Amino acid sequence: MTPAVPWLVIAAQWLLGGAFVGYLAATVLSISGYLGSRISHGLHFTRATAWAEIAQGLGLLLHLLAILARWRGAGHWPTSNMYEFIGFLAFSSMLAFFIIQRIYQLPLLGALVGPVGLFLMAYSYVFPPKVQPLVPALQTIWMPLHVGMAALGEGFFAVAFGAALLYLLRVRGLELAEPEGEGGPSLPKMAGGAEAAVSLAPVQHAWEETWGRRGLEILFYVMAVLVGFVVLALPLRYLGFEWIFSTATYHLPPIIGPALEPVGSKGNLFGVIPMPLVAAPLAMRGKHLNTLLYSLAVGGLLYGIIRRFVARGPVSDFLARRVTGDPDLLDEISYRAVAIGYPIFTLGGLVFAMIWAKQAWMRYWSWDPKETWALIAWLVYSAYLHLRITRGWEGRRSAWIAVLGFGVVLFTLVGVNLLIVGLHSYAGGD
Amino acid sequence: MPQTPCTACSGALPADGAYCPWCGASRSGGGSLRSDVDDGWHRFLERCWNFFASTRVGSILIALLAVASVAGSLVEQEGLYQDWRPPELYYPVRYGPFWGPLFMKLGLTHAYSSVWYIALVLLLVISLTVASLNRLIPLQRMLRRPQVYKLPHFLRRQDFVEEVDLSLHGLAAALKRRGYRVLTDRESLYADKGVISRYGPYVIHAGLLIVCAAAFAKAVPGWEQGHDIWVADGQTVVVPGTDFAITSHRFTLELYPNGMPARYATEASIVQEGREVLRDTIEVNRPLSYKGWEVYQVSWREEPGTAHIHVLADGIERPLATLAVDLRQPEREYPITDRLSMVVEAYYHDFMPDPETGSPVNGSFEVRNPVLLVHFLDKSLEKVVGRAGLMVFSQEEAPYEGLLRLAVDRVDTRRYTALRVQRDRTVPIMYFGLAVMMLGMAQTFFFHHWQIWAREDDGRLLVGAQAHRNRFGLKRELDRLLAMKGKEV
Repeated sequence: MTPAVPWLVIAAQWLLGGAFVGYLAATVLSISGYLGSRISHGLHFTRATAWAEIAQGLGLLLHLLAILARWRGAGHWPTSNMYEFIGFLAFSSMLAFFIIQRIYQLPLLGALVGPVGLFLMAYSYVFPPKVQPLVPALQTIWMPLHVGMAALGEGFFAVAFGAALLYLLRVRGLELAEPEGEGGPSLPKMAGGAEAAVSLAPVQHAWEETWGRRGLEILFYVMAVLVGFVVLALPLRYLGFEWIFSTATYHLPPIIGPALEPVGSKGNLFGVIPMPLVAAPLAMRGKHLNTLLYSLAVGGLLYGIIRRFVARGPVSDFLARRVTGDPDLLDEISYRAVAIGYPIFTLGGLVFAMIWAKQAWMRYWSWDPKETWALIAWLVYSAYLHLRITRGWEGRRSAWIAVLGFGVVLFTLVGVNLLIVGLHSYAGGD
Repeated sequence: MPQTPCTACSGALPADGAYCPWCGASRSGGGSLRSDVDDGWHRFLERCWNFFASTRVGSILIALLAVASVAGSLVEQEGLYQDWRPPELYYPVRYGPFWGPLFMKLGLTHAYSSVWYIALVLLLVISLTVASLNRLIPLQRMLRRPQVYKLPHFLRRQDFVEEVDLSLHGLAAALKRRGYRVLTDRESLYADKGVISRYGPYVIHAGLLIVCAAAFAKAVPGWEQGHDIWVADGQTVVVPGTDFAITSHRFTLELYPNGMPARYATEASIVQEGREVLRDTIEVNRPLSYKGWEVYQVSWREEPGTAHIHVLADGIERPLATLAVDLRQPEREYPITDRLSMVVEAYYHDFMPDPETGSPVNGSFEVRNPVLLVHFLDKSLEKVVGRAGLMVFSQEEAPYEGLLRLAVDRVDTRRYTALRVQRDRTVPIMYFGLAVMMLGMAQTFFFHHWQIWAREDDGRLLVGAQAHRNRFGLKRELDRLLAMKGKEV
């Protein structure tokens, strides 16, 4: 299907590449500027952080141009399939980060939020970039309004995730730096030096401390799995490997085959392992289980290598020792990001979605899995906001909820499409 | 200062503040329902009130609702699965003979209208109401007439504390210029801004309650009605439960070059008492509105419509007549000439021999294999002069007895459009609730409540500032305020 203006679409691809380079440069400069300033005690590396901000701004501008170019080139606002949407989500994450950074100016934040944006952009490349004309259900102003605004809110949740993760690492770093005996200072001292606050601090249970640590490690493993998936999927898609079954086409060697497929029907991997080795259970999709298996393995490998050779110990402890700054500020950034993203997400992701659903599908709410999971994400962030005003739940616990919330958002966007079919199944994507 | 524990959760209570910071219950243990009658029943009510008033309980209920919502998304819900079978037959097949009936028994197949889900929502509704009422009244009291006179130790306990060489008067003027409400009492000053944001959450809660009311209102009989109708091109179908009918003039299907659908549209009219009252095009995302009812473009279907059948006589090349036979509902008798007519003895729209008995039956609802069995009648002699059969889509010779036989000239396709006619009286309520909720969100998150206290002691000014939200912004505001003031003096 030829898009309305083909050269614009191609230009958009190039601009997108430029944006990626910009974000990459910003992240690298941000990290080196931060680490460097620690080593040199603030000297010589402040320019790196200044350059990081410039690179970030440039990347953002190029990305915006890419979106506009694709809009004109394709004839519709580019949020109509998975490739376009995830790319837009990356843009909104970087935009949210830019806005938050103008307010708080914390170079450290770029070191963690930058990679999130890069990951999202890389993930978008897994999906076919071709321009697909809009089916009737998508031909409405609500498509850009609902999808665009929801993505904007989710971009702020991504920043909140980054800040919350930094907070958890920083608090862990403080824990590591302090000798034993305080019984787990999970609440940092308040800025006003309020002595009363310490006596109001909750007793941190022992199990919370161990699971807090383990949770961080598990989180890093999960992030390694996600990165591993992208690392696998991208080259294999472009290399064009295919194993064709009657019900699905695999791009990775099939270890878990489709349901009811006999063992070894596609030959042997390296001449030894039959493909597939085992068939998926009846209610599940073999292709996705297969990809999951590979992602877990590659993620495990990545995580293992980093843990063994770079961190020489738990990855979270390694990073925790290198994070500085006022944890209170990180906590506030996380909260502020949620406070901005929450009303935007409610309006775009729920209200506009309901109005559109009423217009297109007759009912404003059908308990379709994607709708339900958007509601679940909303509920998680509602719980976050309410728990923060319940003292004892500030600090670590609410940081974890901000992390969980973003995980739910990612599941809503990707997991639901993978696991469950429903009214939302436009987005072509495997 | 002795610290009394909170009676609801036993957490340590600070010296100031209307609620327990741990569980959110009203301090002094009585809630806003402080009972003087100390008997079991009143105590019990008090405890119920405090329970639902606590933010901790509210947060847990929200979390529980989130978890409960997960279950229904993993099991195919009754309204959503694409299968002709009813739930009792479908689920044992989909999930197996053990899990299928179990899911149904537990209510997982209609999770969002199940007892436990509704119960959770009701608990949340109670929590929303009680917690909001519980906090709103003391909050209002506190913000309407704040306590201006504070002692130094109070100021030192705020988020930000500064000691500056400024006059109370000067600070008051500067704050007023920046839009603060300023109150003074002897050597104390109180200023605040953005109070409106403190009321925001209660507006949100009110909006949510209206939303829940709208959702529950769907159960009111007659408030939500819908009918699916199939209308063929040119046909008029009465909408059940209403006093009007819909005519489909034409259904249009447009495809992109790659085969994907580009447009579904029905040119339709609303007909009331025989007169056309409205004419418009119904498309996806553009339903037709009429008297509170809305007509949506849902689907379409195509099937063999009218078969044009030649009646041929042996030895004569030209057909005696060409009859238009509706393959959905053929007539009983078709006149051929003044004397001759064709009488339909039997008609099957999807002919199939029954696998067990061998006798002819309809294999499906669709017009797939139409078969006609007729005899020819000489009307003046009242005699049957021949019989014939015709399998419309068969290439074989049609069998016949006598001189007359049938042959197909052409078959016209008929398009049907599937429209859904719906009326939902709860929609305006839902939209109103959502609007109130969004207004509350703007109110809560766009503004922030900052409070500043100051005391003039021995020529020095002690300033204590507290941010309910956006603490970082307050710091910058203070820096600007106090630095600026310094320059002016």
